[in-house]
Amino acid sequence: MDLLDIIAEKRFLGREFLSWLWFKSEERSGAVDLPEQGDVQVNFEKYMLLESGEGENQEKLICRGLQAELQEARTGLLMGKQLEQARIRLTTRGEYEFFLTLGATLLDFRNVKLPKTMTEGDEESDATALEGRTLERIALIEELTRAVHDLFRLFLSLRLGPAWETELIRIRKWVQQAAA
Amino acid sequence: MGLVKGAVSFVRYSVEGTMPGNFWDIVAERVRAFSFKDIDDTLDEFSVGWVSVYDMFDSGFAYNAYAAGDYVVLAMRADERKVSAALLNKFAAKEEARVKLEKQVPRLNRAHRTEIKEQVRQMLVRKTVPVPAVYDLCWSLAENTVLFFSSNNKAMGMLEDLFKETFDLHLVLQPPYLTAEQLLPPEKHRLLADLEPALFAGGQP
Repeated sequence: MDLLDIIAEKRFLGREFLSWLWFKSEERSGAVDLPEQGDVQVNFEKYMLLESGEGENQEKLICRGLQAELQEARTGLLMGKQLEQARIRLTTRGEYEFFLTLGATLLDFRNVKLPKTMTEGDEESDATALEGRTLERIALIEELTRAVHDLFRLFLSLRLGPAWETELIRIRKWVQQAAA
Repeated sequence: MGLVKGAVSFVRYSVEGTMPGNFWDIVAERVRAFSFKDIDDTLDEFSVGWVSVYDMFDSGFAYNAYAAGDYVVLAMRADERKVSAALLNKFAAKEEARVKLEKQVPRLNRAHRTEIKEQVRQMLVRKTVPVPAVYDLCWSLAENTVLFFSSNNKAMGMLEDLFKETFDLHLVLQPPYLTAEQLLPPEKHRLLADLEPALFAGGQP
């Protein structure tokens, strides 16, 4: 299968992950337990893009606003739409706080606000100082991608294992509550 | 949205293949060979190449600015002379009217109109200043992955071509399915391949 086919045919995997992550984050007020690592904090914030269908049949629903208004996004899930993008606040085990918009189709990271660093605002521009600041930012970006991959790994282990049926029943209950 | 400052946006690639010989020597040679060539003083329409992530005018890479620890950090700069469709249509229509008057004909055939449009486009391109675009990348040698700081399709296509040309290595974008293959042990790959979409709304699982 070539890359474009993989992206199109397996698009559901990223969307399911993002929708599941939303459910998971609401289960325990944002705390998601990573096996052998403990809790990371995942909060969905103010912006969501939901999609369903392909090509001409594609429908989009954009929700912006406070938590209460994300109720509309839950109704979107009930109508069969899935999350394509979501704004997330993620606090890693290293206690770094990131804000990012995660895309489901490419697993791309958009508009990521990195935590403040010790050298931020440092004006020194010699080669060593520049390299040091760059390495510091790379380390933070890697911390973020690692955390998202750990969450994705947790989703995959559930999705491919016997526990998925129970998880799916709980997800459906949660989605149904949106209509209540 | 770059690597060195402010908010960031990025996609992940894996790097396929290996480079023969001393890695950093080859990087130094190839990056300089495919560095950005300015077109401000030429009539070229397009130029793409590597510059320093710290300075879009540094294509000589003073102090080996492409290296940061075990990472290659580069910026792809692409300058393009662009002509807007509105401008092109306006001047093409004007030229068509002039030719029709000159030849005393009521209309021009399609081939002639296409030819006029191309001539006009070239004339306008020569009068246009190149517009620069700069996109950063970070190549992790430990993980053999590249983070590219844009999710623009055109920029991603340019990066894949330039990276292949420069290092003779393939970049493979990592959407969720390929990322999943990286994260899962090989014995789970069959299960992953057979996975069907789940319904999150209603019904039995």
